[in-house]
Amino acid sequence: MKTVVRRLAGHLARGAAMIWVVTTISFVIIRTIPGDPVRAQYEKLIEQGMAPDQAERATAALYGFLPKGSLWDQYVGYLNGLIHLDLGQSLSTPGTPVATLIGSAAKWTILPVLGGTLLSFLLGVTLGVYAAIKRSGRLGDALAISGSLLHGVPQYVIGLLVMAVFTTLWPILPAGGPVDIMYDPGFNAPYIVSLVEHATLPVLTYALAGYGGWILAMKSSVATVLGDDFILAAELRGLRRGILFRYLARNAILPLFTILALSLGMLFGGAIFIETIFNYPGLGLLLVNSIGARDYALMGGTFLVITVAVVVANIAADLLYAVIDPRVRTGGAA
Amino acid sequence: MTATQTATVLPAPASTPRRNFWRGVVRVLRRKPSRMAGVVILVLFAFLGVFGPMLYPSPLPRDDNALYAPPSLAHPFGTDFEGTDVLALVVTGTRYVLLAGLATAVITVALGTAIGLLAGFHRGRWDTVLMRLTDLQLTIPGLPLLLVLSTVWKFTSPLEMGVVLGVLGWGGIARAVRSQTLSLRERGFIEAARGLGLSTRHIVGRELLPSMAPYIAMNMLIAVTGAIYAQVGLFFLGVLPFDANNWGVMLNLAVFGGGALTSAAALPYLLAPLLAILLLTLGIVLVVDAMDEIFNPRLREE
Amino acid sequence: MTESSSAPGVRVRDLTVVYKTPAGELPALAGVSLTLAPGTITGLVGESGSGKSTLAFSLLNAVQPPGRRSAGSVEIDGIGDVSQLAGDDLRRVRGRQVGYVFQAAQNSLNPLKTIGKQLLDLGRSHEVADLPALVRDARALLGRMGLDGGRVLDSYQHELSGGMRQRVGIMLALVLNAHLVVLDEPTTALDMITQATILRIVQEVHRERGLTTLIVTHDMGVAAEVTDSIAVMYGGRVVEHGPTTAVLGSPRHPYTQGLIRAIPRLSGDIAEARALPGRPPTLGTMPAQGCVFRERCPERREICDSVDPAPVAVGDRRVACHAVEPAPASARVRKECA
Repeated sequence: MKTVVRRLAGHLARGAAMIWVVTTISFVIIRTIPGDPVRAQYEKLIEQGMAPDQAERATAALYGFLPKGSLWDQYVGYLNGLIHLDLGQSLSTPGTPVATLIGSAAKWTILPVLGGTLLSFLLGVTLGVYAAIKRSGRLGDALAISGSLLHGVPQYVIGLLVMAVFTTLWPILPAGGPVDIMYDPGFNAPYIVSLVEHATLPVLTYALAGYGGWILAMKSSVATVLGDDFILAAELRGLRRGILFRYLARNAILPLFTILALSLGMLFGGAIFIETIFNYPGLGLLLVNSIGARDYALMGGTFLVITVAVVVANIAADLLYAVIDPRVRTGGAA
Repeated sequence: MTATQTATVLPAPASTPRRNFWRGVVRVLRRKPSRMAGVVILVLFAFLGVFGPMLYPSPLPRDDNALYAPPSLAHPFGTDFEGTDVLALVVTGTRYVLLAGLATAVITVALGTAIGLLAGFHRGRWDTVLMRLTDLQLTIPGLPLLLVLSTVWKFTSPLEMGVVLGVLGWGGIARAVRSQTLSLRERGFIEAARGLGLSTRHIVGRELLPSMAPYIAMNMLIAVTGAIYAQVGLFFLGVLPFDANNWGVMLNLAVFGGGALTSAAALPYLLAPLLAILLLTLGIVLVVDAMDEIFNPRLREE
Repeated sequence: MTESSSAPGVRVRDLTVVYKTPAGELPALAGVSLTLAPGTITGLVGESGSGKSTLAFSLLNAVQPPGRRSAGSVEIDGIGDVSQLAGDDLRRVRGRQVGYVFQAAQNSLNPLKTIGKQLLDLGRSHEVADLPALVRDARALLGRMGLDGGRVLDSYQHELSGGMRQRVGIMLALVLNAHLVVLDEPTTALDMITQATILRIVQEVHRERGLTTLIVTHDMGVAAEVTDSIAVMYGGRVVEHGPTTAVLGSPRHPYTQGLIRAIPRLSGDIAEARALPGRPPTLGTMPAQGCVFRERCPERREICDSVDPAPVAVGDRRVACHAVEPAPASARVRKECA
């Protein structure tokens, strides 16, 4: 237990450092953008006849830091706001806090990412075991090759191909958006059907993009475990096939669980392409749109949340490992 | 003791005569025709990159009577929204894609190798600091960072693009080079060379780097692939100005400019750049596979 | 516990095992015959690559691909020809009737399950009805070997030392009452004291439970300490097999003689220990005809180049060498096999 706490502390320290670096990058960028949007906003408000201190406060609400004082004071003010979870106000959707926009976008990212990744994980892992056991067979070969191909192709290529096939050549699914607006949101059949229909292509793309990596990882993991002595030993003790398979599968899948947690975190950033292609209103699209709309507070906030997701995934992966691997849990040598 | 004597300690590639090496290359390529195909693909793209823009007039001719024309003899992949030949766009776009890819690879490899060598060679405090830095570089989500950077820096020229992608992508190579350096160190490599009175510069330049060169070269090719994906992706997202002729610009206009996805006839406009990406990737993957076998004696003996 | 009369005898006859390589199928065992007398401990000694592990695996019909048995049989009393078994029949023999103990350095236990759970897996695989009784037996066996049974069953592999793991391996091989036990390098990678403890345990458990035991080792000292008879392997053949005291005291095969000379003695002059010149053959370098040992043999003669010597009875042992004269069994005093 002690080792777990120590590892966790290490992760938290590294995560804090990373978040600090990212927020600093955001701050520097917002300050160095040509034309200084903070200054410009402040001056615009003054021109509109606002009192200087009032304009100052309004600008501070927008960007999370005061446009006046030394750069250092502004920086401290910005970090202080972040610590109080104040990400500023959105410029492109006036009057809405950045945090609110991010919160509503997050659910559109989390569900498809989770669904697509789990789908590809299950599929890839199952087929990966098969590909490893039937290494010399034709189907095993075909599976491994399909894995390498899909793994080597960038996400957006898969997304665009999926889109071309299912919305243009064979238009059976809607091309974009999260849901048809003609249905009342709520727990009713047409709305839910529409939700599912719109989510199908993004989820399919996540699944296809992830599948290759999983099948390759599982195949090599199974091959490694198959070479381990304890599998042969178990066979020589006359264990049943079912039990042998469980020994094999559990040991082989172990390293993949940590990759799973990590990839979930990474996918928050990776969602950018897929959400843009399918016009799906998640965090990735929010980031792209905030850049298009020069909404810098929103951009900084989204970037920060995506980074936090990676940090959280890192920690989750490590804790998960400790839960499922007794060697880590009790602090023994692996 | 002279340097030539230490050469015997080195792994084969560094000391094998050049002619032998080329014979090995030819044999490896012959054994699997697909590898030959990989080389042919890369040579073709290199040719297009160098001479492609010279094959067509600049600016590319437009045909207002043939917007989104379907594939035909004159336009094998049809035309775009302005009536420009899609194939011509792909061909003239190759130079940017390859140039940016190469620039990225050079910077990635140079930075990664330098940092990895430094960390592995000096160990101790240097190592800790550099590896923390590497971890940070590897965990900060790269694509979002690129997007955020694009707001202050319009890195549209291929070389600028290469610099940005390279500075954000050296982590993997640094880590790999460090572990290679450490493993060479563990085998008594560096101590042996020190014992022979060789200078640090000599050890790094003449002993360590040559033995890692094949490995680094392979990583460089893989870095090229990553760089191609990233730059095309950035243009596709539309966060950079469309000054350059890039496959990503075509993708963006095909998807968001309207048209390509509403009718099957205009699909070639979307598919042509995708096909180019896939073909180039395939070429690189096949060549990496061949290099793997040339430089990895264990695989060669089979 | 079970009476010693249930210890099975084992008869390996003309066993040939070939390995598939790019250069064709090469023999790892070339017509090996070996008899394990019921209730004895036999040491199978040889350098790595001599085929001793392949022979040990053959007793469970478990030669690993790309190897396969191409000829011969392995008869075990009460089971029949193991090499003809397959599927569930073979599975039931493994573990239940023939126990196999892996080298201590190797991880022969599932790292993700406690020893107790792996014991239950074993019991369920062999349709043991009374699992609590199985756990009791296991605890008693572990206790017999000087371990805290309850604690060990609750442990994971990584929480046990090498010597403890080895005792767990022996427990798992014996807990279902197997009477034929194969130990593969049981003391390799253990420190000297643990090594001695394990050997003592093997000997005691062997006697108490009435087992037929085969110990595979490259260490002549280990074989000398615990075995009743020794079979020396070289190049996929058993070149000499006889009572331990006889083989060690007056080795007949030039290879055995070389092996024994190579052992450094604590009390003697270290210069007296002489390594055998040359290297043992590998699958690829094995001569196709003639004696496999001739390249390193001090007594090489012309016939060795063309004829592979067949094992012949010399007194109470069997030796495969052209330089050794066959003699009638009565000419020598028969040594007692304990």
